[in-house]
Amino acid sequence: MRELNVDVAIIGSGAGGGAVAKELAPLARAGRRVVVLEWGTKLAEHEYTGQEVDMAGKLYFDNGGVFTKDRNMTMAFGRAYGGSTVVYTGTSLTIPERVVARWGVPGLDWGDLQQRSAKYLVENNVHLQPEERLNDNNRLFRLGCERLGYRCEQFPINVKGCRASSLCNLGCPNAAKQGTHRVQLPMAEAAGVEVVTNCRVTRVSERVCEGVVANPGYGEPSAWEPGEYRVTAKAVVVCGGAVNSPALLLRSGFGGALPVLGRFLTLHPALILVAEHERLITNFVGHPKSFYCDEFLESHGFLLETCMYFPFVTAKNLIGFGVAHSELMRAFPRLQMILVLAVDPALASNRVVVDAAGEPVVDYTLTGEVLDSLHESMKASARIFFAAGARRVHSPAGASFFLDVADAERIDELIPRGNVTPGKISVTSAHLMGGCRMGAGPADSVTDAWGRVHGVPWLYVADSSLFPRASEINPYVTVMALADRAAEHLRSHAGEVLGR
Amino acid sequence: MISLSEEQAAFLLVVARRIVPEVAGLDDRGCAQLLAIIDRALMDRGAEVYRKFGVFLGVLRRAPVVRYGRTFSRLRPERQDAVLRWFERAPLGLLRQGLWGLKSMAFMGYYGRVEAWEEIGYAPSFDSLERLGA
Repeated sequence: MRELNVDVAIIGSGAGGGAVAKELAPLARAGRRVVVLEWGTKLAEHEYTGQEVDMAGKLYFDNGGVFTKDRNMTMAFGRAYGGSTVVYTGTSLTIPERVVARWGVPGLDWGDLQQRSAKYLVENNVHLQPEERLNDNNRLFRLGCERLGYRCEQFPINVKGCRASSLCNLGCPNAAKQGTHRVQLPMAEAAGVEVVTNCRVTRVSERVCEGVVANPGYGEPSAWEPGEYRVTAKAVVVCGGAVNSPALLLRSGFGGALPVLGRFLTLHPALILVAEHERLITNFVGHPKSFYCDEFLESHGFLLETCMYFPFVTAKNLIGFGVAHSELMRAFPRLQMILVLAVDPALASNRVVVDAAGEPVVDYTLTGEVLDSLHESMKASARIFFAAGARRVHSPAGASFFLDVADAERIDELIPRGNVTPGKISVTSAHLMGGCRMGAGPADSVTDAWGRVHGVPWLYVADSSLFPRASEINPYVTVMALADRAAEHLRSHAGEVLGR
Repeated sequence: MISLSEEQAAFLLVVARRIVPEVAGLDDRGCAQLLAIIDRALMDRGAEVYRKFGVFLGVLRRAPVVRYGRTFSRLRPERQDAVLRWFERAPLGLLRQGLWGLKSMAFMGYYGRVEAWEEIGYAPSFDSLERLGA
């Protein structure tokens, strides 16, 4: 086992780890050794093939389909230089004041988060796409919402030089999406921060990270030779995301002093809904996610967003099989899609645990309240589809495979609540939050409002696992703002935490 | 094929033809591609998932004996569909989840092939600005 000494070890390089790395660049410039230990690989530009199965295997854990323990949901999260920012769509929203108020974290102020978020909106080139860059799939959603009187807003996105490939979720092949792999990590590396890819950290103990470097056979080789490592670090910042951060800390024995470690996981349970138009529409060209509708957020607990997925993911999310399923798939260039995000409650029983081998297990149950939200979302989406001119709608809980436009007035009857059954409908998640929640003390949380783990002055968390409840919006900008706080705290206490 | 037995692979193709009718039109190369994609996905998920998948295939193959006196492969196509629909709505979550997993694998195997994209009209391009009219 190789032994190394560093000043700061950052575990993970996504929205959290990338922001921390960049914000700790001044320490690197001042001669401190700062390393980022990233499980995933850094693909060469030519390896972004845009092919669904290939990219899912290289850029996501379990091909983008990590199961919950009860196997009623799958979760998609990235594993790469840049973490999930490599595979998100880059939709960039600032957390609303009411959500931060609901979080109720002592010492966490919305104004502060807003200010830090604004910094990243500039840094990552966030802007609204001009009208001519919006495709039909997105415009039809807006049209449907407008005709129904539903509130609909445009997503700001973080692209530069976008060529409208629509392949954001498979890693942009044009290097247009401004994730941490394009912005913060290169900035950090230019200042002397070392980024070590293909390095899985297996355990964190008293100022020590144990890990293994293994090159997967694709992507650039790690900066470190393959093998086992023991890295002594004066400070450790855990940024592995809402599954892997709590799992790492649980595996490392921190659960004893932190009874809520791993708990209060929220997932924004999601549905992908599909409708068919008579005519060809532009759907797999152009940015896939331009609009969202929060009309039902307070009343029914869900958000609707535009989306466009790839053939396999689309097929998997349709109900049924055989001729009707195949017929809908063959209408691919005429499909309009909506993504539903349910705002799930933060429950202690929904949690990350580790099995006997130390591997994470996501013990999460869809509540009746969330299933109610999903049911309402299917009905609202069907109305939007029909209002936008769709000839027929496929609803996962529909009484039949297709609801025809003639059925548009009977949506309540034809999408019965009783068909919203876990294990029958495809529920997914790409917004994983909580598990190392911020709060007042170890009885109710894992860290304070700066991401410092209670009672462990050398250990920080800086990722979506900090969220005490769901963000109710796409979370990455908030992750960066929280990571910015953790980095600032560590930087400003460097003398105390890292020594002189 | 790497890990699925020949028997499992053959049965998987029988089921896949009901899930995606176009599988019936695949030549040997297409079938091999489909099975290789599934095999790779199962391998990535680890031995336990692989084992459970194999167990579910066995359950699905033999379950129709109780109702129809024949294994799945020996049923008429309509009855095969009826069996799949029963599993899809089964009162036991494990059976529903098993079928969901099997369907997912069949969809991945078929629609994960680049050749399938043309059939469904999916034709992404790295540079689509012109097609967008922008």
